[in-house]
Amino acid sequence: MIEVQNLTKRYGQNTVVNGLTFTVRSGTVTGFLGPNGAGKSTTMRMMLGLTRPDTGFARIDGHAYRELSYPLRQVGSLLETSAPHRSLLAADHLLWLVQSNRIARRRVHEVLEMVGLTAAARQRIGGFSLGMTQRLGLAAALLGDPPVLILDEPLNGLDPEGIRWLRELLRRMAAQGRTILVSSHLMTEMSMIADRLIIIHHGHLVADTRMSDFIQRHGRTYVRVRTSEPELLGRELERNGAALTPGSDGSLEVAGLAPAEISRLAAAQGLSLAELSTHSASLEDTFLAVISQEGTSTHV
Amino acid sequence: MSETIAAIQAEFTKLRGVRSTFTALLLFVPVSILVAAVDGWSAKGAIESHSPALRAGFTPQQAGLDGILYGQLALIVFGVLIVASEYSSGMIRVSLLAVPRRGRLYAAKMVVTAAAAAIVAIPVTLVSYLATQLALGPHGVSIGDHGVPRALAGAVVYLTLMCLFAASAAAVARNAVLPLIILLPMVLAGSHILSILGATKAIARYFPDQAGTDLLTVNSHDTSFGFAVLLTWTLAASAWGYLRHTRWDM
Repeated sequence: MIEVQNLTKRYGQNTVVNGLTFTVRSGTVTGFLGPNGAGKSTTMRMMLGLTRPDTGFARIDGHAYRELSYPLRQVGSLLETSAPHRSLLAADHLLWLVQSNRIARRRVHEVLEMVGLTAAARQRIGGFSLGMTQRLGLAAALLGDPPVLILDEPLNGLDPEGIRWLRELLRRMAAQGRTILVSSHLMTEMSMIADRLIIIHHGHLVADTRMSDFIQRHGRTYVRVRTSEPELLGRELERNGAALTPGSDGSLEVAGLAPAEISRLAAAQGLSLAELSTHSASLEDTFLAVISQEGTSTHV
Repeated sequence: MSETIAAIQAEFTKLRGVRSTFTALLLFVPVSILVAAVDGWSAKGAIESHSPALRAGFTPQQAGLDGILYGQLALIVFGVLIVASEYSSGMIRVSLLAVPRRGRLYAAKMVVTAAAAAIVAIPVTLVSYLATQLALGPHGVSIGDHGVPRALAGAVVYLTLMCLFAASAAAVARNAVLPLIILLPMVLAGSHILSILGATKAIARYFPDQAGTDLLTVNSHDTSFGFAVLLTWTLAASAWGYLRHTRWDM
């Protein structure tokens, strides 16, 4: 479990994280979302003791990160800004990490195998592609078999196969009761990985909820209708309380009426329907809608 | 305590693995020994041809310590790089994630720097001295001559402290460039020139390298003064580096 309590960080005049409080539960994959500059990376660095908060604290299973004696056994982490030295061999990078935390040496080969870098173990990190560097970072995070994972943009640079592998790994680790916090700007991927969402904007909390509740509550669900007489049908639907948005290709996006009702009203007018389909909002649509609302409300 | 030992072990692996750092440490060996040998060989020629090029006050004992004065440049580069490479690569963040107690990480780094410098400096100082004497041929003197063992031991202490001083300077600057452009010219020429000019001679005694040089002067009367000055510099730089390290916030 990760607790964040009243966390604030200022850089000069700029308040990057502003009184943030939330809890990341064990046994779930929690997605950490926010537009660029929302304060996600700063919050993660404060959780990991790299950045000192101006107020508040972050605790991991009840302890500040800096108090952990062998932290890699408790928390695996991946940060965008942290990089291994380019001239180190991949295996040597993992070797000094296991030595520093007294982790069994065989873990080096185990995690290299897990991330598919066994063949690159004796290569210098400087020659790695973005995807390989990311895999090595994930290997480092998994070294201590930690109960908590904090991963900042772990999907960056991974190919579709790698993304799928990571998704399954994180789901499996969550099912084992671990605590997993993942930030990403890839909404479609996030909607497939995370059970819960924590959304921040301008450094404060916007949502802390189950993924499905979030989309249900904030997302726009509509029925797309296509017919030869859209204006006639449109008038009829609006008379029955529907809200209409014209679709791009002459279709109508209808909110507020069930498909069966729309079909009945069309039939009553003697119109046939070429399409009648229900669309629920994607995480991306919902996220953008919520963020833009937040944006206006905070500026008013 | 065992966490600190683990951190030290990890720092040794990093030292071995990061190419530029390890290369600088290794370069100390051939530079010192080669310069020592060439120095002895050219002195031999000068003695035998009664050349005026032989500097005043030349003694074969002191000549045996000339090699490491040039070799120390490599050791200073090593000291700077072992710290600065963490910042230039961004690895410092990974290091702090593995060893989040700032003081522990800093101590481990400094222990490894000092240990590596001392382990290499001991044989290189001895071999350099012997190489000079060998090159001097019939003019060479014994390693057991009066004051020589003490000067050789002083040289090892000097090299280790200079290396720590360089590492501390890099911790203060958080990069390699500034410490190198200050330290290398200072050691090569700067404070030596100050020590020749009458007016600045008194000040030059308080420069770390000039003060330290007393340590490796055969039969010096200022050994303890020089040692005290160099130690003070090293401890002050190290303390400042520690403060910069603990207050580092990303």
